[in-house]
Amino acid sequence: MRGSLTRLTIAATLLALVASACGGGTAPGATTITATPAPTPTDRFAAMDQQALEAEARKEGQVVVYSFTSRIAAVKKAFEEKYPGITVNATDISSTEQITRIKAEQESGNVKVDVAYISDVPVVFGELVQKGWLASYVPSSFKARVPKQYQEPLLANRLSTKVLMYNEQAHPGGPPVSNLWELTDARWKGKVVMVDPLVRGDYLDLMTEIVLRSDEMAKAYEAHFKKPIALGSGVKTAGEQWIRDLYKNDLILAKSTDVVNAAVGKTGQASPPVGFTTYSDRRDNAKNGWALQVANTVTPAPGISFPAVFGVTKGAPHPAAARLLITFMMGDETPTGGPGFAPFYVPGDYAVRTDIQALKDAIPFAEFRAWPIDAAKSFARRQEVNDLILKLK
Amino acid sequence: MTASATGARAAAARPRAWQRPGRPPAWLGVSLLATLSLLVVLPLARLVLATFSQGTSVWEQVLASEIAENLLWRPLGASLVVGLTTAVLATALGATLAGLVVLTDLPGRRIIGTLATLPFIIPSFAIALAWDVVFRNERIGGHVGVIHGLGLPVPDWLAWGIVPVTAVLVIHYSSLAFGLVAAALASVNADLLEAAEVAGAGRARVLRGIALPLVSPALSAAALLVFAEAVSNFAVPALLGLPVRFHTLSTRLVGAIETGQTERGFALAVILIAVAAVLLWAGAGATSRRSFATIGGRGGRRKRLSLGRWRWPAFAVALAAGIVTTVVPSAALLLGSLYERPGSLDRGLTGHYWIGAADAAIAQGQPGIFRSDQFVSASVTTVALGLAVALAASVLGLLIGYLLSRDAGSRLASLVGQLSLMPILIPGIALGAAFIALFARPLGPVPALYGTFALLVIAGAAATLPFAAQSGRAAAAQVATELEEAATVAGARFPRRLGAIFLPLVSRGLVAGAVLVFVKMVRDLGLVILLVVPTTPLLSVVAFRYASENFVQFANAVTVVIVLASIAATLVAQRVQRATQPWGAS
Repeated sequence: MRGSLTRLTIAATLLALVASACGGGTAPGATTITATPAPTPTDRFAAMDQQALEAEARKEGQVVVYSFTSRIAAVKKAFEEKYPGITVNATDISSTEQITRIKAEQESGNVKVDVAYISDVPVVFGELVQKGWLASYVPSSFKARVPKQYQEPLLANRLSTKVLMYNEQAHPGGPPVSNLWELTDARWKGKVVMVDPLVRGDYLDLMTEIVLRSDEMAKAYEAHFKKPIALGSGVKTAGEQWIRDLYKNDLILAKSTDVVNAAVGKTGQASPPVGFTTYSDRRDNAKNGWALQVANTVTPAPGISFPAVFGVTKGAPHPAAARLLITFMMGDETPTGGPGFAPFYVPGDYAVRTDIQALKDAIPFAEFRAWPIDAAKSFARRQEVNDLILKLK
Repeated sequence: MTASATGARAAAARPRAWQRPGRPPAWLGVSLLATLSLLVVLPLARLVLATFSQGTSVWEQVLASEIAENLLWRPLGASLVVGLTTAVLATALGATLAGLVVLTDLPGRRIIGTLATLPFIIPSFAIALAWDVVFRNERIGGHVGVIHGLGLPVPDWLAWGIVPVTAVLVIHYSSLAFGLVAAALASVNADLLEAAEVAGAGRARVLRGIALPLVSPALSAAALLVFAEAVSNFAVPALLGLPVRFHTLSTRLVGAIETGQTERGFALAVILIAVAAVLLWAGAGATSRRSFATIGGRGGRRKRLSLGRWRWPAFAVALAAGIVTTVVPSAALLLGSLYERPGSLDRGLTGHYWIGAADAAIAQGQPGIFRSDQFVSASVTTVALGLAVALAASVLGLLIGYLLSRDAGSRLASLVGQLSLMPILIPGIALGAAFIALFARPLGPVPALYGTFALLVIAGAAATLPFAAQSGRAAAAQVATELEEAATVAGARFPRRLGAIFLPLVSRGLVAGAVLVFVKMVRDLGLVILLVVPTTPLLSVVAFRYASENFVQFANAVTVVIVLASIAATLVAQRVQRATQPWGAS
């Protein structure tokens, strides 16, 4: 009877293991539903002045930050020079990956990171802030100097972009495109490059905004084709029609922003493509041999702008140093924001502080025509836009 | 056969241990099954469960909605075509090279043999980038490849999509097939081949009639491994497929997980696993019923088959293939770490990215990798992880191989065999996500493991289990049971039989498997990308971070270090275990 005993043991072992796996499977869902934004010890720090915060941060000795931009390396250097004894442990990872990681840390209760410097705000606000995993910190000295919309639900220090860029060496007379609908014409067939919006959240936000702006897209259609837009079968909005026509016109998808920058920007090309990318990547033109320039005049808009925000994690191991870093990255009292803001004081990024001097070589923000995204509206439509892009081939 | 019949037969057949000599004790199978349950069944169960977190809606979307065609069916078709083609071609290429190197009097066997193992050491994305350097056309814009630069237009089908994806995967995985087949061929009893030659059989007949059937377990194991690896490879189709919107199941799966549509991604992973499981089942069935015992108690020096006038032509072709698939990508990587400006010689070369001090004007103030604290700590962690996983996977592989060869045909053994192959069907990033989901909170007596080194080792052991199990299985299948039977009769118990007879005889295949595991872990990215936390970085993750921030030179430099570490591991292993280099012993 030993054989059947063995089998019995096996079955019991498997059952027990699977049962515990199922338990593990349902538990996170159950707890996250009941988890509402709990009162965090924010209040303690909100009342602290700069000196008290610094003293506390020194005791903590370090701060761990996830950043969606590599410029955090320069921030680290500047911060450690100003506050010797407090180490910045910085990791640059995409916003999409930060979201996955923060979820994992919060669900395991094994929180490693103090500060998230992050974009992709539809998901950040809609999920991470909603669940209480990321909380806001607004240093009291900036409350009057930052417009309310950039303080809530999380504080931003600047706006970043995903906009239509062209090669200014090949087109010295200005943008070769004046209307987004031109990109669906035969002239630009196979000559528009973009990061796959099904892989990078920021580009899905761009596509979503275009769908949300369908009224403006319909007007732009009429301006370009001199006739009212006629939607194809199954197409519900002008924005959707544009995305569909763009894909049909042999849109070229790339894996990362850098591929798009090099394709559009590389100097010496006879007929370079145009593409959607980050305005401030223009700062690397000289270094990388590019000629990137934004097509700001394009109708109805060249793309989107969105805030780069700070979140303090729930259960952050170094809560005071986290807040000190955020304060530092908001900049000092000089007109350019000083060393903490210097990495972001570049043409193509826009400071949210009203007292920071505008940069000369960039388009003034009042004239910059990109659409600011609406995080809540975008969050509501994102999945739908994702799926309609998925249907295209 | 009913369960009770099996039970009765088993009970009747084994009243006393010595009457079934060489049979492993029951606790071995049971404890292996429990271990594999933890490493494989639980993550899979968690994966499947997650797809039902919103009822059946995820499955309706994936299988039957308007998006199903582009999300599932076309990518699935592409994955199958790529996977099967790669399995056949890579195995054929690897086995041919293995045959030439191990059995014949090919000149320069050591060089060819070493070159043939390298493509697996070079990360697949590096080979894809090398393809891009040579074949890139004007489709994307920016720079063009070497051929186009010479004025020869490269058609889209050669630059992008299914053809280059398959070609790169064949190059990369042929060395996997080479390693497995070479180890098996080296274990073939030379007497068999000599006897055939003495009996007057021609070269072709010796190969076809004797060598080929004897290594058929290794061939089928190699083809299955290659298929499974190829369908779950993400980096190559992402690099060479996207510009023509060529998608495989793995690129769709990773895209879904990266954009937070985790359940959809898991559903795709479950389908990928199911499809591949069917193939594995068929493959395992084809080879498990026959005996392949070829290592007897004696062995001798091998007389090599003569290639005659084909010696030098064969050498030239093999050498050219080796250089194109290994030296070219390696040189491209090394050069890529020395360019002052990414991908172009406009500004000449520099050593800054290796040894330079932090300079605010270059790369946002990042120092050369040898001056970076992060790089140093990542190197230590990476090597420690590679060793830990290689050890864990080899122990498991040895025991699984033993069980499969000595308890062949039992349901327990075949269940263990199939479970051990499962992880390879789960793309690394999906397996990583499953492990995070499973161990993010305390699980029974196990505390929450997120962010620990232990979780990396467990996930690594699970991910590399198929390699270790397959090399254990291929090696074990060749050890004749007579040796153990003799030992059993002489009174040796299981641990002694394992340690004194089985282990020495399979150590050649086992060390080869351990090196594969080490190499795979050292350069793996998908599995660990979600598991690694900033306090314990790994080299591949550091390289990836540099690459995604457009610090191409740093990324190439770190990749060169990864390749060198892998080559060093291979060489050290060869020195420790001279026999793992079957082409070296003549």
